[in-house]
Amino acid sequence: MSDIDSALKVLADAVASPREYALAWKQRTGRKVVGAFPMNFPGEIIHAAGALSVVVQDSRAPITDGRSLLPEFHCGYTRSVADQAATGNFDYFDAFLCADHCIQLLGAVDTIRFVMPRTPVHFVQFISSMNDAWGQQQINETMQSFADELEQLLGVQITQEALAESIGLFNRNRQLLRRLYDLRRTGVNITAAQMQLMVQSSMVMDKREHNEILAPLVDLFADWTINPPQPVRLHLSGHLCHAPRAELLTAIEECGATVVDDDLFTGYRYISTDVVTDGDLIEALGRWYVDRNDNVPCPTRVQHNVDWDGYLMQSIDKSQATGVIVLMVKFCEPHMLYYPELRKTLEEHGIPLLLIETEHEGLPLESIRTRVETFVEQIRRRQSSVPVPA
Amino acid sequence: MSVELASKVNRLNVTKDGGRMVSDYWENIFTARERGKRVVWYNGSAVNPIFQAAGLEWCHGEAFSARLAATHLEGPAQLAGAEYGYIAELCSYARTHLGCAVLTQRAAERAEAGPQEGFETGIVGMVDQEELASKLPTPDFFVNAYAGCSTGQQWDEITYRVFGKKVPIFNVSLPTLWGNKADSGYLRGEEWDRTSEYVAKQLYQLIEFIEVQTGEKFDMDKLRENMTYIKKASQLRREAMDLCAARPTPATFWDWISSIAQINFLPANQELVDYFANIKHEIQTRLDEGVPGIANERYRLYFDGMMNWNKLGWLAKKFADHDVAMIAGRYTHNAFWQEPHLIDTDDPILGMAQHYLLCPTNHGTKTLQHLMTRDVEKYGIDGVVFHSSRTCRAFTNPQHVLAETAQRDLGIQTMFFEGDVADASFYKDEVLDSRLEAMLEAIDVRRIKTGG
Ligand code: SF4
Ligand code: SF4
Repeated sequence: MSDIDSALKVLADAVASPREYALAWKQRTGRKVVGAFPMNFPGEIIHAAGALSVVVQDSRAPITDGRSLLPEFHCGYTRSVADQAATGNFDYFDAFLCADHCIQLLGAVDTIRFVMPRTPVHFVQFISSMNDAWGQQQINETMQSFADELEQLLGVQITQEALAESIGLFNRNRQLLRRLYDLRRTGVNITAAQMQLMVQSSMVMDKREHNEILAPLVDLFADWTINPPQPVRLHLSGHLCHAPRAELLTAIEECGATVVDDDLFTGYRYISTDVVTDGDLIEALGRWYVDRNDNVPCPTRVQHNVDWDGYLMQSIDKSQATGVIVLMVKFCEPHMLYYPELRKTLEEHGIPLLLIETEHEGLPLESIRTRVETFVEQIRRRQSSVPVPA
Repeated sequence: MSVELASKVNRLNVTKDGGRMVSDYWENIFTARERGKRVVWYNGSAVNPIFQAAGLEWCHGEAFSARLAATHLEGPAQLAGAEYGYIAELCSYARTHLGCAVLTQRAAERAEAGPQEGFETGIVGMVDQEELASKLPTPDFFVNAYAGCSTGQQWDEITYRVFGKKVPIFNVSLPTLWGNKADSGYLRGEEWDRTSEYVAKQLYQLIEFIEVQTGEKFDMDKLRENMTYIKKASQLRREAMDLCAARPTPATFWDWISSIAQINFLPANQELVDYFANIKHEIQTRLDEGVPGIANERYRLYFDGMMNWNKLGWLAKKFADHDVAMIAGRYTHNAFWQEPHLIDTDDPILGMAQHYLLCPTNHGTKTLQHLMTRDVEKYGIDGVVFHSSRTCRAFTNPQHVLAETAQRDLGIQTMFFEGDVADASFYKDEVLDSRLEAMLEAIDVRRIKTGG
C-alpha cells in the first residue's frame, strides 16, 4: 500500500463511521461531541469550547424508523437525519446546533427534538438575506448567542485565545484542502472520490489530527504524476448538504472524463473561505459567514450582487472545464429553484451540462454510466468540430 | 375514475359575495398599468396594508397561483415553468408563479421589441400566453416577507433574476420561532419579544424603501386606518369561527377556505368589515334556526395542511358525502390576522410584525402541538386529516409528529392523503377514499367502545 493509500485509509475509516470515530475520540479525550448542521455553521466555535465539531452526515443505511417522521418526498439527507436520530445512530452527540434556513433541514432538526428529547438542539437562524443593512449585526448577535449557548451547555468559557487557536487550525485545514484543489486543476491525478474523502473526513475528524494527516498527503500529491491533459474536463456542481456516493464519482470518471473542479458542499463549497482574524473573533466568524457567500454563492441564501452561475463561469475559466455535471439531491428545493439560472448561463456560454439527480436509496449506476458516456461523447464531438486556432 | 358527487355541503351564501370581491380585485389588478398605478409583487405575509397606505397596487404571488389552480388555469404557467427548467417536484405555488413571471417577462420583451419580433415557439401556446401573461402587470418592485419557508424567500429572489435583476427587491427576514427556551411558548417568552422587535424594525425599513420607490412620504395615518379595518374584520372572523364549536356546526372549514383571500390580501376597507360581519350574521342566523353547514353531521374533523386548490370543491363534497363536517384547520384557524388583540391601531407596526411571525409554518413542532390540541378540544374534533402536500414541505415537515400527538395524547384518529397545493397530478383519489373510510370506521368503533 502506498503512503497515499494508507493515509487515505485512515480518513476513509472516519468517514465510514463518524460515530465510531467520535466515540473513540470521546473515550480518548473525555470531552463532548457536538453536531453542527450544514451548510454554514462555523465549527471553530465548537472546537474553541473544547468539543469535537462534527458536520452531521447522511448515512448509507436505508431509511427505516425515519419513515414515520418525514415523508418520502423530503430530500434524502433530511430523511436520513431523522432516521439516524430515531434509530440511535446519533447517540454519541451531546448537543446539536443549527443556524441554517432550508425548510426541509429545519423539519429534520425538529424531529430530533421529538425522538431525542434529552439532547439539546439549539437553533437560531443566521440571516439569509445577505444584502440587508442590518444583516451583519444580526449575524454577530446570533454568533454570540451560539457561543453563550455552548458555554452553558459545556460549562466552559470560550476565550479569544481559544478561538484564535481554533480558527488557526480550521484555516490551515482549508488551506491544505484548497492546495489539493489547485493541484488537481493543474493536472495532478487526484480522483473525485479521493478529493471528496479528504473534505468529508475533515467534517467529522478532529481538525488537528486531520491536519497532521493532510499536510504530508498534500506533499505526496504534489510529487504525484501529472496526468496527460484530458480532453474532457468536468466541473461537478451542487449536491448540497451532504456527499454524493463515492461510487457515483468513480463511475463518472470511468466514463472517460476527469473531474477538475467542483462546487459541491462536500467539496470546494465547504473549504472556500478562511476566517480573517482581525479584531473580535466572534465578529470575524460573522464576517466569514458573509464572505463565504461572496466566494461561492449558495442557493439557500439570497444575495443580489453575487450569482452562483457567475461564480460557476469564473470557476470554469480557471479550471478550463469543458462540461458541467450538476448533481442534484432529489427534492432539494433551493437547488431546484436555482437550477434554471445555471442552465441558462451555461447554455449562453456554450458549456455542455448534464443533470443527475441522486436519491438516498438506489443508485442506478448503469443508466448513469450510459448518460455520462453520451455526455462525454457529446463534448468530444463538440471539441473535434471546433477549429483549433493556428 | 372519479364520479361526480351529489353535494351535501351547505355553503354560506355570503361567500358568493366574497368570490365576487376577489374576482373584482384581480380584474382591477390586471388594469393597474392602464390606470397609471405602481405595482408591487410580493410573497408571504400580508404586508398589503402598507402597500395600500402607499397608494400601490399589490399582486400576491401565492394568491395568484392558488387562483389559477382553483380555476383550473394553472396548466400553461406550469408548462412555461417546466420549459424554463423548473422540476416538477419544486413547490407548485412557486413554479406556477415563476411560470407567470417567465410569460410576463416575455410578453414585456415582445411589447418592447414591437409586433414583428418573434414570438416564442415553446410548448406554451400563444393563446395561453396572452390569456395569462398579459394579465399580470409587470412589477415596479418586489417585496418578500416569507415566514417559515426558505422556498418562499428564494422564490422571489429567483423571480428577481427572471426579470434580469433590474427590478428592485426588499426582503423582510422572519426568523422561525423555534421555541426552545424554558420561557418559550405561543405568544410569549424572550424569543417572541426579541423577534417581534426585530421584524418591526425591518417594517420601518420597508416603509423607507417604499418611500424611495414612490418618491412620496409614507402616510402613517392611512396605515392606522387600514389596520383598524383589518382588526375589526379579523375580530368578526374569529367570533364567527368560535360559533362553529356548536354541534352541528353552522359553517365548515371550506367556508373559511373560501374567505382566506379576503382577509389575506383584499383592500382594508368597510366592505371587508361588512363581509365578515355578514359571515358572522349568517352563521348566527343558522345557529338560531338550526341550519347546519353540511347535511347529517356525524363526524367532526380537523384539516392539517396547505389547501389543495385544484380539488377544493371536490374535497368539500367528498367529505360531506361521508357525513364529515370539516370544522377547522391549521391553515385557516392559525393564520391571517388570527390574533387581532395584538394590533394596536394607533401604533400598528409591532402587531403587524407579530402576525407575520405567526404563520403556521413558522413554529417549531412543540407550538404546533399546542395549537392543534387547543383547536381539537375547542371544536370537539374526532380526527385529523393530514393533507400530505407533495411540494409544500413547509406544511408536511411536522405532520407525522403531529399525527402521533393526536393519536397518543389526544386519543383521536388520523389519516393522510396525498395531493398538492397547485399541481393536480399529485392527488390520489382512491387513496383518500379508502383511508377516509377506514378512519371513520375506527371512529365508530371507538364510539361503540366508549359509549360515545
Ligand atoms: S438544502 Fe437541499 S439537501 Fe440541504 S436540507 Fe435543504 S433540501 Fe435537503
Ligand atoms: S413550499 Fe409551501 S410554504 Fe414554501 S413557498 Fe411553497 S407553498 Fe409556500
